[in-house]
Amino acid sequence: MAFLDNSGDIILDAVLTDTGRLRMAQGDGSFKISKFALGDDEINYGLYNKDHLSGSAYYDLEVLQTPVLEAFTNNTSNLKTKLVTMSRTNVLYMPVLKVNPRAISGETSSKYFIRTEAAGATKTEDASAVTMPAPGKFYVAVDSTTFEGIYKYREDGTSDSIYHSDNDQVIPHGIIQGYTASPAEGGMIRVDHGLDTTEISVGQGLDTDLMENAFIVELDYRLGRIKLQSGTNIAPVNFIDDDNIATYYLAGSNWVDNGPSLTNTTLSAEQLALLGTNDPQVFGDGQGTGPRGNSFKFRIQASQELQQSSYLFQQLGTSQDLTSGGFGAGSVAGLPEADSAKDGYLWNLKDRKLWYLDSTVRVIGANTGYRIDIPIRFVKLT
Amino acid sequence: MAKSFKSLLGDDIKNTRTLLHEAIPITGSIVSGTYSDDNIKTFSHGMYESVYDYPYLSSSANHIFDLSYGCSTRVSSSTNTQNAKKMNMYNQMAQVLFGYDLSGSIRKFDSDGSLDDDGAGTMDHCFFINFSRLLCKDEIKKNTFRLGLETAGTVASPGTLLTLGDYDAGNEFRTSPAGDYGLIFKTSGDASDNTNSVGLLFYQAGVAVLTSSIFTGEFGPTTDPRPSAATAQTGTTIQQLADGFRNRFHDLDLNNTIELNSAIYFCRVNHNEFNYSSNPTYLSGSKLVIKNQSTDLPVTYITTIGLYSPDNELMAVAKLSEPIRKDPNTELTLRVRLDY
Repeated sequence: MAFLDNSGDIILDAVLTDTGRLRMAQGDGSFKISKFALGDDEINYGLYNKDHLSGSAYYDLEVLQTPVLEAFTNNTSNLKTKLVTMSRTNVLYMPVLKVNPRAISGETSSKYFIRTEAAGATKTEDASAVTMPAPGKFYVAVDSTTFEGIYKYREDGTSDSIYHSDNDQVIPHGIIQGYTASPAEGGMIRVDHGLDTTEISVGQGLDTDLMENAFIVELDYRLGRIKLQSGTNIAPVNFIDDDNIATYYLAGSNWVDNGPSLTNTTLSAEQLALLGTNDPQVFGDGQGTGPRGNSFKFRIQASQELQQSSYLFQQLGTSQDLTSGGFGAGSVAGLPEADSAKDGYLWNLKDRKLWYLDSTVRVIGANTGYRIDIPIRFVKLT
Repeated sequence: MAKSFKSLLGDDIKNTRTLLHEAIPITGSIVSGTYSDDNIKTFSHGMYESVYDYPYLSSSANHIFDLSYGCSTRVSSSTNTQNAKKMNMYNQMAQVLFGYDLSGSIRKFDSDGSLDDDGAGTMDHCFFINFSRLLCKDEIKKNTFRLGLETAGTVASPGTLLTLGDYDAGNEFRTSPAGDYGLIFKTSGDASDNTNSVGLLFYQAGVAVLTSSIFTGEFGPTTDPRPSAATAQTGTTIQQLADGFRNRFHDLDLNNTIELNSAIYFCRVNHNEFNYSSNPTYLSGSKLVIKNQSTDLPVTYITTIGLYSPDNELMAVAKLSEPIRKDPNTELTLRVRLDY
């Protein structure tokens, strides 16, 4: 899109989005405009120089010179950052969202895909031989075969014949069961909310008007659905736009974990001690950051198309042959070099093909509008 | 509670209707000459020919109008060239544009617009100019149609240029089954007497119907010897008649009309609204970069307005040409107009 001419009067360039045109074409009354929001996508507030030597009139000189692009008709390309209404004017800190990679006992981890060497392991070449894909992604195994192949290749020392028999442990994280399985294993995605600062103590808590009690999630409906952190329940979709992007509005205790003492209440010594040793949040004491808000937890279910067919992988994704290039350094699945003598299960994966398809899941705080895009990778062994 | 959306109330939405007009000039050299007829598309059925503004095989070409000819059953004769097709063309245009009389028969074009079926003013030999929608859009603006025709003399040495027009149609027009229509006269002075009419202009349908009797000079095929119009209309094909018409076409001017229905959304931004941002650059370590201390006023910069459905689906977007500063000391009303 070109820039709008800003040499004269201020003008407004208004267009219907593709979704707007779709709803209008449907003629079922779904085209209805009932609210508005304001955005500042082009603005870089880093240009705001509140220490300008010439005075306050010059603070936003560069910000006001920002050229503005014409409107995009793609609905998801607009208003990525919205302006927020809060009646008070004394807010100095605002919360952000972060993926929480920390493991907590009794709960599925929310790390990006990685294999880590377990404590006490005696063998290191498996982990060190693998260069993990960067930056981090959550992997969604679309069927049990894939999950078994990637997640259950863990040298856990059990007698199960499909596992490595050595007493070395290379534990995978960040692989989500993208199919209906019981019991649930593998990872989930956990997004925490809070103040990412050391200037406010965790005990001060987060103001109630900044608290997120609901989250909006956007995901390509061709690829996946949102499901609970445990169990098999799929979240109901609010709407699916013309580009097949499904939007979910998720609230309630099944999705949002309130955690202990989240408001302006001073935490007790016991609570602080608890948080310090086993804080489930990415923010808060023990992390060197400020007050914490709520946590949002979910998993991703692969669509039936991805589960049953490799068509979309062929159309939108890439594949890696699990020959020599598919193991060790460069392995998309993070699989170490197979040893025919002792890695019976891993050896059986040789000559198979690993399909993978990258996408993102977008999480938006329904209250403050802060958003993060979380990279995900659907994987399928064929 | 923080929020990103503000509901539009009943007073915030206003519907309006606006008529836009474009001036359309067509020079005669486009219709015949400039492109050596590469911009003229003919058809094997021979019922009409299409005129483009550029050689029609090019993707840059735009269809501007079709030309055809028809005669009524009153003057038909089995000896006429393409007699059936000429009658069919006349009847088709008449039934669409003029409708039926009380007996259910197709009404004949009546140049005086009286619809009295008395035979006075009936146009039995007609040229039809069917303008494309690209040109006339929703309708032709009344009293703007001016067609320059060389009706007398020879092609090489035309006589006085005749400028036909729907003179006085701004004050007087009629309605037909195909919408409003006006009478076409040779001069503005003729408009005082409807019996002087030489044709009809259907504004919404975008069709001009002209009697062939306006042509008194040379006519017909593009090569010599050229017959008169009276001879050509019985002895040549529709395509040849259309070619003849094009070669006497001098210029055309009209204004079209576009009917814009608009919804205007008044997005009212009060002093205590939209003063914070979810823009990641708004924060550094969760702290607002535009503040040194909590008592500083928050400030944001608006570049975009989104109009949403009740489900928070983005239906329309408006962009400001430059950022507008918003802080608790300012209030704004942003007027977003959507045209349909």
